[in-house]
Amino acid sequence: MPIRRTKLAPLVALTPAVLITAVAFVGAIVWTVYLSFTDSRIFPKYAIAANWSRQYERLLYDKAWAGALGNVLTLSAGGALAIAFGFVVAALVERESRRESWFRTIFLYPLALSFIVTGIVWRWMFNPDLGAERLLRQWGFAHATFNWLADPRTAMYGIILASIWHSVGFYIALLLAGLKSIDKELWHVARIDGVGVWRLYVEVIIPMLRWTFLTCGILLSLGVVKAYDIVVAMTNGGPGTATWTPAYFVLNAYATRGNVSYACAAAVVMLGMTAVVFLPLVLTTTWQLKRNTARKA
Amino acid sequence: MTRRRKRRLRASSVAVWAFLLMCAAFIALPLYVVVLTSFKTMDQIALGEIFSWPTTWTVAPWREAWSELCAGMTCKGIRIGFSTSFKILLPSLGLSIGISALTGYALALWNVRWAGTFLFVLFLCAFVPFQIVMIPLVVLVAQLGVYGTVWGTALVHAVLSMPLLTLMFRNFYKNIPRELIHAALLDSGSFWRIFWEIVLPMSKNILIVVAILMVTTVWNDFIVGLTFGGISAQPMTVILANTVLSQFGEVKYNVTMAAALLTAIPPLVVYFALGKFFVQGITSGAIKG
Repeated sequence: MPIRRTKLAPLVALTPAVLITAVAFVGAIVWTVYLSFTDSRIFPKYAIAANWSRQYERLLYDKAWAGALGNVLTLSAGGALAIAFGFVVAALVERESRRESWFRTIFLYPLALSFIVTGIVWRWMFNPDLGAERLLRQWGFAHATFNWLADPRTAMYGIILASIWHSVGFYIALLLAGLKSIDKELWHVARIDGVGVWRLYVEVIIPMLRWTFLTCGILLSLGVVKAYDIVVAMTNGGPGTATWTPAYFVLNAYATRGNVSYACAAAVVMLGMTAVVFLPLVLTTTWQLKRNTARKA
Repeated sequence: MTRRRKRRLRASSVAVWAFLLMCAAFIALPLYVVVLTSFKTMDQIALGEIFSWPTTWTVAPWREAWSELCAGMTCKGIRIGFSTSFKILLPSLGLSIGISALTGYALALWNVRWAGTFLFVLFLCAFVPFQIVMIPLVVLVAQLGVYGTVWGTALVHAVLSMPLLTLMFRNFYKNIPRELIHAALLDSGSFWRIFWEIVLPMSKNILIVVAILMVTTVWNDFIVGLTFGGISAQPMTVILANTVLSQFGEVKYNVTMAAALLTAIPPLVVYFALGKFFVQGITSGAIKG
């Protein structure tokens, strides 16, 4: 039953939120898109450039930008690994069902740490003279190399390892919640029918958890596009531009190179990438809702 | 037969436990190493045995990190960042929770015709990358005259978190039975009185979850503090990052680790004290009902 009577008060209450959305989100996005067509340097200029698409053309030929896009793919692959790993751990914790809260406390604490702290911790682990490499060699693995951050070919894997360390607990928590929502009867039925554990997981459980996996995947891709802090703390983009990400690129163009319109163009591409990830989410949720309501009717 | 099966089960159980313990070690060991390193002397660190126990425990690195650590040109320790982070946290917490709770309440329990559309827009806004709104926000904050102050950073935090928090409040409030509000209305309660006297006292749970989410987000934030704090309002994470990035010559790793731990302690305390709400916050913050 809808509440009528006072009509003005709710509108007054909604004003700040509407203003924030209109100015700081919608307005700011339009503003950034507009700036990307100008040739603003350190300060925004508001005359559209003669060649309005110049910044986007520059992006096309910028090797650092291409590298940043490639790193997004590498990071995504690493994140997919984290999800798979998280699922294995969640399934085992669920099956054991003892000490669950104990495990969860351990797996989740890195999430309370900032990416800066995480990066510094792992930078220390990767330190060639004093960190894990030295330790491994002392233990007799004479050729162990763990100095990944210094090599442009492996630096990205170092960042991936740290990100997995930081976020795997989150995937475990999400997937554990998903596993718990599965009817316990299923296990009994499967055992009586003689279905093997492996087949049960691959053919029944994983398909049942597809929405949870989808959520994990979307959150992962959103996080990957935004990755910035951890790069700063671990490698600061180096060696060279080997570990640049789109977010790093934007900040670099804006703060280091003082090129506002270039930064804006890159940010617009970032927004596009987010939309590509995000659109399927919106579509699938609305589709799911429609199906559910159709079922009920 | 039964005996054999039991034994096999136990063997697999042991394997599972071993695997889980290894995973737990992978997660737990870095913190262990960092804590130990922060209590070691540099002489012992030079030996390179990261797992070894400190031979002589020293708190000197902690003291140095707190009051003498160098970030770039200044050497005033990380304590300045500590107080800056607090000064950013408190106003942003109040502002964001105030606006979001009120908006969520109005959208969930009152008849606003465009509520559905607005919620959808908020949903989209919650996923927008920071970089796409960054430069206009810098211009706006500068025009308000709060660029480079804790107020500017706090304001930006409140603005950026508003969509997500509003959705969380709205999802919580929509479960309040409307009959209750209806009865309150007949009892001559106004919009504001109902919010203040009925709805807010019912929202203890969601307030805790949202507050924890905000505390960890704002405290752990780096990029907003970096772009809006200028040089005079750098939060703890920015100072910490500057310290590591500007290290030349002999690096005092024990001091760096102590500084990292000092930065990490507040959210860790929140996590270990209120873990249940923390998990609720990050999962609902991530999926939104």
